[in-house]
Amino acid sequence: MATAVSKQKPAERLFTLTCCLMAAPVIGLSKNDIFASVSSYGEQGSDFARNKMFERDKNSLREMGVQLEVIDSSGFEDTDTSRYRISKGSFAWPSDFQLTGEHLKLLELAAKAWNSQLLARPAQSGLIRLRSLGLVEASRELSIVTPRLLARHASFAPLAEAIDGGKLVTFSYRKPDGDASVRELTPIKLRFIEGQWVLLAKQQDVVKNFLLRRIISAVEVSELAGKVVTPEEISLAEEDLAEFVSKNVARLSVEHGTEAWWHFGATEDNVVMLQFMDEALLAEDLMEYGADISVLEPESLRLRVEDGLKRVLEHHA
Amino acid sequence: MPKQEIDAEGLFNLSLSIVGLVLKDGPMLTSELATHFGFSEKTITKAVITIANSEDVGRYETHFYVDEDLLAEGEVDFTTAQSQLDRPPLLSKRQTTALAAGLDYLAAMPQFLDNADLKQVREIIGSGTAPITSYQPVGSESVLLEVQRSVDSQVQISAEYVNQLGVQSVRTIDPLRVEFVGRRHYLRGWCHSNQEVRSFRIDRIISAKATGQPLSPEAMSAEIPVEVFGTISDELIVEIQASSEASEIFWNFPAVDVKRNQDGSSTGQIRVGNLQALGRHVCRYGGEVVVLGPPEARAAVTDFASRALGDERVAENED
Repeated sequence: MATAVSKQKPAERLFTLTCCLMAAPVIGLSKNDIFASVSSYGEQGSDFARNKMFERDKNSLREMGVQLEVIDSSGFEDTDTSRYRISKGSFAWPSDFQLTGEHLKLLELAAKAWNSQLLARPAQSGLIRLRSLGLVEASRELSIVTPRLLARHASFAPLAEAIDGGKLVTFSYRKPDGDASVRELTPIKLRFIEGQWVLLAKQQDVVKNFLLRRIISAVEVSELAGKVVTPEEISLAEEDLAEFVSKNVARLSVEHGTEAWWHFGATEDNVVMLQFMDEALLAEDLMEYGADISVLEPESLRLRVEDGLKRVLEHHA
Repeated sequence: MPKQEIDAEGLFNLSLSIVGLVLKDGPMLTSELATHFGFSEKTITKAVITIANSEDVGRYETHFYVDEDLLAEGEVDFTTAQSQLDRPPLLSKRQTTALAAGLDYLAAMPQFLDNADLKQVREIIGSGTAPITSYQPVGSESVLLEVQRSVDSQVQISAEYVNQLGVQSVRTIDPLRVEFVGRRHYLRGWCHSNQEVRSFRIDRIISAKATGQPLSPEAMSAEIPVEVFGTISDELIVEIQASSEASEIFWNFPAVDVKRNQDGSSTGQIRVGNLQALGRHVCRYGGEVVVLGPPEARAAVTDFASRALGDERVAENED
């Protein structure tokens, strides 16, 4: 039995709205149907307030992943004749979607890594949703490591928002050896690779990777919808990057017993071989070790390190 | 489990999740749900009341029948009335982004290299395929294990440590916590030589051995500062300018008065404990970071870069 005698609370309103829309016939519910069914709307003093509340709730539902469909014969969105329903796909978990206790433990750590930063809340609420799939005993083995990711790039929040809303974005991007150029693209994913935040995005018809630290302007989120990206395109781009990285090999000579020697895990011959994603980023890591390291190959990396250090001298002469 | 307050959207999300779990697995204790979802029993009860109060006032239809007597006794049981809702919605894009990025982050940690569970869960959440890793400090893997074990068993360690100036020493440390911040592991521990909580980069610990001694009372009562760089004594204020790409340098030091310039670069002051260390931090950016003052800080940078290039080269440049 419902005990609704007092005023409906915001969470109750969203929950009731969801239930009413889920139970709606195929043709959906009109706005008036919804206003008659969910008590909070009826309690509003004016049509204006009612509509405003409904607009806000629609956004909240969408943000929470409840796909609201608007059906309108007039071809315009959200008119008075619009009808609303929830896409059944919103609730269609894949039948083979199954998490183990180990998976849950890792997801808990992943959520914890946000450490009250930008996406800490969606990470937590996503975790709660995943926990509802069953009483899997999350592995109780306490992880001794506290992961804390840092996502302080100003571009992070707008990019996450655009990924969320499937929108196009525009920003200025500067490659290490080139000039800045304005890019318009469809952001797909934010990834953390080799200590760097990387945006996977579709520019024109190509899915590419962009380093967040090379975005040198504010990110503008467009009202326009982004391009369609297929899972195949994404995995292809990811495979391409992995293949590219596997071909980038550097050989270094490190001074025995120095911090660099320990850091890179050099062997007795004082030589280190490593793979890298981006030559300019690797050069930064190497410049930090100063005289303790010299690059044997590739020559382009050796020159890059040398030029970088020369520039430091020029700027501080 | 963490107890936390919850806002309207959070409560809505929790209610949806409880519907999914209880309809699937049957009646449960409030306390069980509290443990499972990581909220207080009070919050769980609030979420169940949210479910109970859902009704279509236009059609006089209730969505769920909740047994409120049982709820008062700490048990959650309900059945579906007119509702079609039987599980929570799929993850929203934002939830997916957040969890996927977190998982990506874990995948970058050496201890999760080749972790089959992580690989599976990343595929399930859609955060990507195998991690793309380059060098992992090889030597530090065994150190990390030893340090983790001693944090777990709460015993002191004796560690050979190379500090950022390349000076080696043997320290007795009460290990308190291991953090993976940004891209590096740090041991936060009570340093017996300094009598305070210090951060030790794991890749600078050459060897670590548990001594079997329990943690000192000072360590047990010590507070761990939020930032890994901790407090700095004998600090120097250094003014720097960093290009847009190199502005992350301000995240690595206590920084004040950071301003963004029109050309996208940033200018600000950082507090530095040691000039030699500043040299390496600035040189890393290959000219993208410039020390504006004081002169001794600029000299430290020049010194580091000159030594990295070799002295002859400096002579050439000076010509």
